[in-house]
Amino acid sequence: MADYKIDDYVDITDVVCPVTFVKAKIAIEELETGQILSVHMNGGEPVQNVPRSMKEEGHKVLKLNKNDDGTFDLIVEKGEE
Amino acid sequence: MAFSNEQIERYSRHIILKEVGAKGQKKLLNSSVLIIGAGGLGAPAAMYLAAAGVGTIGIADADEVDLSNLQRQIIHATKDVGKAKVLSAKETMEEMNPDVKVNTYRTFVASDNIMDLIKDYDFIIDGTDNFPAKFLINDACVMAKKPFSHAGIIRFQGQLMTYVPGEGPCYRCIFRDPPPKDAVPTCKQAGVIGAMGGVIGSLQAMEAIKYILGVGDLLTGYLLTYDALKMEFRKIKLPKEVKDCAVCGENPTITELIDYEQAECDGVL
Amino acid sequence: MKLTISGEVKEYKDGISLVELIEAEKVQTPEYVTVSVNDDLHGARDFDKITLKDGDNIEFLYFMGGGC
Repeated sequence: MADYKIDDYVDITDVVCPVTFVKAKIAIEELETGQILSVHMNGGEPVQNVPRSMKEEGHKVLKLNKNDDGTFDLIVEKGEE
Repeated sequence: MAFSNEQIERYSRHIILKEVGAKGQKKLLNSSVLIIGAGGLGAPAAMYLAAAGVGTIGIADADEVDLSNLQRQIIHATKDVGKAKVLSAKETMEEMNPDVKVNTYRTFVASDNIMDLIKDYDFIIDGTDNFPAKFLINDACVMAKKPFSHAGIIRFQGQLMTYVPGEGPCYRCIFRDPPPKDAVPTCKQAGVIGAMGGVIGSLQAMEAIKYILGVGDLLTGYLLTYDALKMEFRKIKLPKEVKDCAVCGENPTITELIDYEQAECDGVL
Repeated sequence: MKLTISGEVKEYKDGISLVELIEAEKVQTPEYVTVSVNDDLHGARDFDKITLKDGDNIEFLYFMGGGC
């Protein structure tokens, strides 16, 4: 994670599908094109769906880090509006 | 304004849409719509707008809930018979969505109150059941430069159009004057299928939502007609402008609001 | 000649007037109907001034007062 400058951070471990993606989407909407969002999520459904949905919305998935506690951090660069 | 987790969940199906998103949902929460008439059209329109999170909804109606209303006015329930329609409507909307502020106006619209009623709202929905009110709403919205949705329903038929100042004809461009009283039947005399209010009132809510979001094409410059028996929707093109329209034309002759006479059998049941 | 009436193409005799067409189409309460001919709107007082021509597109717009 140290290789990217994170502009904003959102925790979606407290919600379930489809609110997981919605919460991440709201966070990235607040950013400018080129800025970077880190999304903290649980394994399983969010890891399968959130990165894919972010790509579909035109954002660039830079990295997906697995943490020791089974959670993940998704690093996304905001695409053009 | 940040969304609470509850709001994110409540509006998730909106926010997921590219055309809405968090920004669009905030627009809805910050918008205001006035619904004139809490009846067959106004009931579904009010409910969908409340559910959508339109932040301020005004509802104007002088009537009380009657047993004969319940076949179509789905915002009212059997326990509400005898209650003021605006109060019953407010209770339903507030139960549906605590984010919505409901303003009630227990009155019929007339030339001396309509300008004051519409002035603070972004969009107006005409859900009235009589021609004097429909012409009054049209003229007031033209004069106050307010967008509104016109609609009418009867038997198995419905129609609607959207007026946006400067972007197309008004109701009076098509129908110059109200018909003489009792010349054209209303749904009180002729009957109406309850679901017709649901179809057309929901389309009015959809127009209001699109206007607030600024997405898609509105029904300006068109009259949409629905014939349920033929199961046919028709989008009839109207002229871009009617230069000799008495209210929105080049030399308007109507510069003050008019209170036309109500038909004999309206407003008494 | 061919006229498009409420979206449907129909055959009518050449030079039919709007008044004749309204009768042939059995339009109810024509005195309160607005007729659109190629996107120009005409109220009842103008009906007798209008003769139709091949290819005209005609729509009947009816008052609809209900909402209650």
